[in-house]
Amino acid sequence: MSLDSAALKEGDELPVLHLQPDLGQVIRYCALQWTFPAFFYDPEAARRAGMPGTLVPGPLKVGLLYRAVDEWLGEAGWIRQVRAAHRRPDQTNRPIDIAGRVARVYEEDGQRRADLELAIINEQGEPSVRGFAVVQFHS
Amino acid sequence: MPDESLLTDDIRALIGVETPLGSVEVAPRTWRRAVEVYTGKAPDHTPAAGEPISGYVIAGLDTDYESVGMPNVMPNSILISNQWEFDRPLRMGETLQAAHRLVDITERFGGRFGYSLDFRAEVVYRDATGAVVARSGRTMTQYSASDARGGDE
Repeated sequence: MSLDSAALKEGDELPVLHLQPDLGQVIRYCALQWTFPAFFYDPEAARRAGMPGTLVPGPLKVGLLYRAVDEWLGEAGWIRQVRAAHRRPDQTNRPIDIAGRVARVYEEDGQRRADLELAIINEQGEPSVRGFAVVQFHS
Repeated sequence: MPDESLLTDDIRALIGVETPLGSVEVAPRTWRRAVEVYTGKAPDHTPAAGEPISGYVIAGLDTDYESVGMPNVMPNSILISNQWEFDRPLRMGETLQAAHRLVDITERFGGRFGYSLDFRAEVVYRDATGAVVARSGRTMTQYSASDARGGDE
């Protein structure tokens, strides 16, 4: 079902996106960036660096926020901005939820836009990322 | 904690300076790989040249040049935020000019990291007319682990 942007209002919630980023996804991300810090893919190297295990890279998580917004938005518009403030590490192979709500719907530069508050919630129910996005709807 | 600010005039002078990084192409292969990384599945079709595409590709554009580091002022650093920003959707096949810029440095006294410096930097992508199309930003906190205290927030 496509998003009805005309009916959108402040407080509307985005559907929760359930994910479990695994080591394969992290390795593909490292390949995309062509950067390979061993603690991202080698559990022993991660533990030597003081981490509990391999972690989901922060820059990967901003893209996961983008995905949550993109899947909600569909063909109704496009994403102008997405921001991730990292609060806690997320380990690979652990479930995370991406939640969001509409914070503001407004007109700017002749365009209809919305601000979204986002969060990545870990399995303990704690926010590992606080996020924010701006979307612009097609006329 | 240092006796005086480490945010010297030499470091402040780096704020706003742009370093050209050359051109990057919004290539179909980069876009397909980026979509697969973030969504877990390969796209079922590739948009034609000139079509607007999802912004995931910006993560792949970062590798088409020699990266520019931030000044190392303190012994430890940690990533605290990332941001993607688009003035319009990217288009398949377009060529953009990339430039690195240190946007700002914020000095903090006390808190989780003790004395620390936040370095906010971005890569700016411009089209052939010079108009900004997109930005990929990050903020790194530099600190001294010996002054930091535990805790999550």
